[in-house]
Amino acid sequence: MAAVLGHWIDFLSGIGFTLGLVALGWIGALVLGTLLALMRIGPIRLARLIATVYVLVFRNIPIPVQMVLFVFGLPLVGIKLPLFPSAAIVLVIYHAAFVCETLRAGVNAIPAGEVEAMRAVGFGTFGVMRDLVIPQAFAAVVQPLGNVLVLLVKNTSVAAIVGVAELTFVADQVAVEEVQTLVVFGGAALAYVILCVALKRVVSVVGRQYRVAR
Amino acid sequence: MAAQLFEIPGPKAKRRNAFYEGLALLVLAGLAYLAIRALVSNGVFDAAAWAPFKLLGVWKQLGIGFFNNARAAVVAMLFSMGLGCWLAWGLVARRRAIRSACRVYTDIWNGIPVLLSLFFVSLALPALGLDIPDFWFLVISLSLYSSAAIGDIVSSGIESLPRGQSEAAVALGFSEWQKMWWILLPQAIKVASPALVSQLVIVLKGTTLAFVLGGYFDLLRAATVLGAYFSRSLLQAQVIAALAFMIVNIMLEYAATRIETKIK
Repeated sequence: MAAVLGHWIDFLSGIGFTLGLVALGWIGALVLGTLLALMRIGPIRLARLIATVYVLVFRNIPIPVQMVLFVFGLPLVGIKLPLFPSAAIVLVIYHAAFVCETLRAGVNAIPAGEVEAMRAVGFGTFGVMRDLVIPQAFAAVVQPLGNVLVLLVKNTSVAAIVGVAELTFVADQVAVEEVQTLVVFGGAALAYVILCVALKRVVSVVGRQYRVAR
Repeated sequence: MAAQLFEIPGPKAKRRNAFYEGLALLVLAGLAYLAIRALVSNGVFDAAAWAPFKLLGVWKQLGIGFFNNARAAVVAMLFSMGLGCWLAWGLVARRRAIRSACRVYTDIWNGIPVLLSLFFVSLALPALGLDIPDFWFLVISLSLYSSAAIGDIVSSGIESLPRGQSEAAVALGFSEWQKMWWILLPQAIKVASPALVSQLVIVLKGTTLAFVLGGYFDLLRAATVLGAYFSRSLLQAQVIAALAFMIVNIMLEYAATRIETKIK
């Protein structure tokens, strides 16, 4: 126990980095994912193609591979970014593909009649997207989006591979240093589980609020 | 349904869409030009950088690397299927104590990153005197997580079956054990098979975490080792590794959707 308490500052900063990655990753993934989903269902062919290819590529390359390529590969072609932003960008790129797929499932749940009704009263493509498709698609997929969020929380640990000092990285270092494997990893695991369970709770409350009566 | 989200374009909308398309094409071409210029100026397309890939041995090393990924994924998937079916049984058990015990297990292992359990297993087991290869560290940590996920998948498969299946089994005099393993689980696994194939993709992606072990020759490690021998080819080798994963995963996902349409 003393091993963990003696390193409480390390753990706190580790949790801080993890939460920072989660926040940045989630905001970025929501924005990029929504944009991709709109491109994918919109009337412009080339945009549809780009979004489809994006999802195929970035969803299917494992995130450790993307992390290593981005952090160790890009400097080889002259693009040098600091470590923490690189890790956040990789998290955004990977999870945006999942957000896009999830939202598309939500769009498919919208009855065609509602879209036709909107058009009949004079809304254009943009108006339909803004006032019908986006709100309803989000409301329909609150729960699945919550699963993507939990996936993101767990995947922030992959940043440890390239040396971002987030919770998993700190836990490994402290465990090696103090030879107290069970306590250290147990504590870190507890932090992740609490975070995931708390987020799931929040998501289910939000989901109940936005449930669409059909 | 997606196609009905916009009107079939008329002449004006067609012109406008064509304009946007042209604009997007221009932007795309500009970006591609910048990217290719950066790549060329750093010598990514130089013949020397690609020369190692003319050697058969290089491809053999990469192949061995991918085989090691696939091997770990398959073994971990088998373990977690076995454990996951028991968990699914527990998750739909009549006794509350069993249900909540299984729920706690799945909640915990669904919330812990595989990398964390991989670090833990690879430090804790040798400390306990268990001298096993890195392969098993990877398989154990992946199975711990994946069994929880499969428990959830299969138990929701069981719950989706019509009640009559269970009632008929009881009426025919099957014991609780026979009802589960002969009647419910086989059907539940069939219903859940698309999700199970997707889970295999997740496990295969997870095997790349072996990169941190250092002692397991997976594809990403193989690419990195090649980069150490042929210092100009690191990026190329890693990109090839990424493409290999991408292609295999796309094929598996395609198989999953095929199975899904076949079941329905």
